[in-house]
Amino acid sequence: MTADIALSVRDLTLRFGALTAVADVGFDAQRGAITAVIGPNGAGKSSLFNLISGAIAPSKGSVVLDGRDVTGHAPHRLLAAGLARSFQITNLFFDLPVHENLRLAAQFLERGRGALRPIASSRVATERVAELLDEFQLGARADALAGTLSHGEQRRLEIAVATAARPTVLLLDEPTQGMSHADTRDTGELIRSLSRDRGLTILLVEHDVDLVMSLSDHVVVMHQGHKLAEGTPAAVRADPKVQSAYFGTAHA
Amino acid sequence: MADAVVLPTPKAELSPTRAIGATRWIAIFFFAIALAFAIVAKSLGDTFYLRLATEALIFGGLALSVDLLLGCTGLLPLGQALFFGLGAYASALTLKSWGDSFWIALAVGACVSALVGIVAGLIAIRSKGVYFALISFGLAQVVSKIVFNTRELGASDGIIGVPPAAVLPGVASTDPVAFFLVTLAFVALVYAGLAYVMETPFGRQLAAIRSNQHRLAFIGFDPKRAKLAVFVLAAAIAGASGALYPMMRGFVSPELMFFQVSGNAVINVIVGGTGTLIGPLYGAALLTALRSVIGSYTEHHQIVIGVLFMVVVIVAPKGLIGYAAALIQRRRTRTAA
Repeated sequence: MTADIALSVRDLTLRFGALTAVADVGFDAQRGAITAVIGPNGAGKSSLFNLISGAIAPSKGSVVLDGRDVTGHAPHRLLAAGLARSFQITNLFFDLPVHENLRLAAQFLERGRGALRPIASSRVATERVAELLDEFQLGARADALAGTLSHGEQRRLEIAVATAARPTVLLLDEPTQGMSHADTRDTGELIRSLSRDRGLTILLVEHDVDLVMSLSDHVVVMHQGHKLAEGTPAAVRADPKVQSAYFGTAHA
Repeated sequence: MADAVVLPTPKAELSPTRAIGATRWIAIFFFAIALAFAIVAKSLGDTFYLRLATEALIFGGLALSVDLLLGCTGLLPLGQALFFGLGAYASALTLKSWGDSFWIALAVGACVSALVGIVAGLIAIRSKGVYFALISFGLAQVVSKIVFNTRELGASDGIIGVPPAAVLPGVASTDPVAFFLVTLAFVALVYAGLAYVMETPFGRQLAAIRSNQHRLAFIGFDPKRAKLAVFVLAAAIAGASGALYPMMRGFVSPELMFFQVSGNAVINVIVGGTGTLIGPLYGAALLTALRSVIGSYTEHHQIVIGVLFMVVVIVAPKGLIGYAAALIQRRRTRTAA
């Protein structure tokens, strides 16, 4: 067990009948680093994320979080172990206000407090909500229902909800999905600061290759369910296998 | 010219976490009117309307348990009469064989329903949406048929000759004013208790389940656990409400578990205002009164109720109180702005 590896994935496999969506994928995510998973559509990135985050149980393989085997654990148990995720398709409490979305997520910080004590007196969650509203620049929209936010705001809230319980490992599933160029850049900055300032270990699935290359410390390339390559952004970019499968031959 | 996109101002829509707070005065009004009614009825020496109103409150308790599931948690129960009926039977048997204690009969009714609620809940909460509704419906059908065919429980006749319960020393459940007030206090306590629960982490988990159950697990809570807990709580409330029924009526019958009762409870909730908690009590009062008034002219009162139900669903889908609460909320937001 290496101390600076926060998340370790071994031989992770997901089969649906004859179809193998994820095949023997393994890699390590260094503590405090940003690790990105890239690959063309249908490469199995989202399935991989679902396996790691407990949304689906793997057919084979293991997920080790801080040296503990958490394979197949339900999502709520994974959060207790320090792993949280955001979703590619915005997955909020749309008919609840922004502050309540955050408060629900921050409620986890006070899980020992008793489920039947009034929330009005829960200081820790209240303070955390104020912090998150500030950090994610959602203060002006605190009372709006999440469903009435703009797409960019919803994407920010999506990440804010995922980080509310102060996880140590954060999985971000296409955080810039559907965003404008400027919003994508801002989100990149936000992710960088989560890693740099908060010391979060980040695992990222991302479509925007430029963003991945500028942001990540380590890149895992997937292709047709398999891991095709991994390494530093520069090494991956230079890899001929990756070039032909992902970037196209134009780069060669 | 690409101007900045103008965001829609958030409408003062009624989210589950706001509906109850916005209706607090409407709730106080309900209980004040009920008290005034008791005073007037007492001074006029009325029995008929007091008993009718007591019945409305008893079915109001059942409606509260439906709203806890439907309005607060987003689960549509189509068999909540199962727990109402179980509570009624448990209470009737307790009063018949263990003496006239109101509290013991009430507790037994609530506990029996809660225990059956654990078993039924473990089955029902595995499914969502229409499947949850159908499973709750099916469970009630099965149990009501069993009761209907069990000679020891009086089969189709039910249990008759249930002795009155002693609410306090010297005060029997057959005293119309006293029992109306007892039932009113019971319903007020359930209402206040549930309004409190919705402002706790557990209550907010229920609101989260209603809003987006899928996400709840990813913010650290086990949705199955919360769903089972709320299902059992709703069963206990329905059971306690049912326990009051034989105290007033002196009998129970398998019809108490039939779909008619489950369906009426859902109609009471929807007409009154789903997720407001007080709405179901208004709904139960209004519809019980309507059934009685229209029933004195025609035996086809369900047709009128059915039409009223459709009109409310189309014109005010949030129910009468939901509609009023949205108005209040909008005005409040406007004055704040």
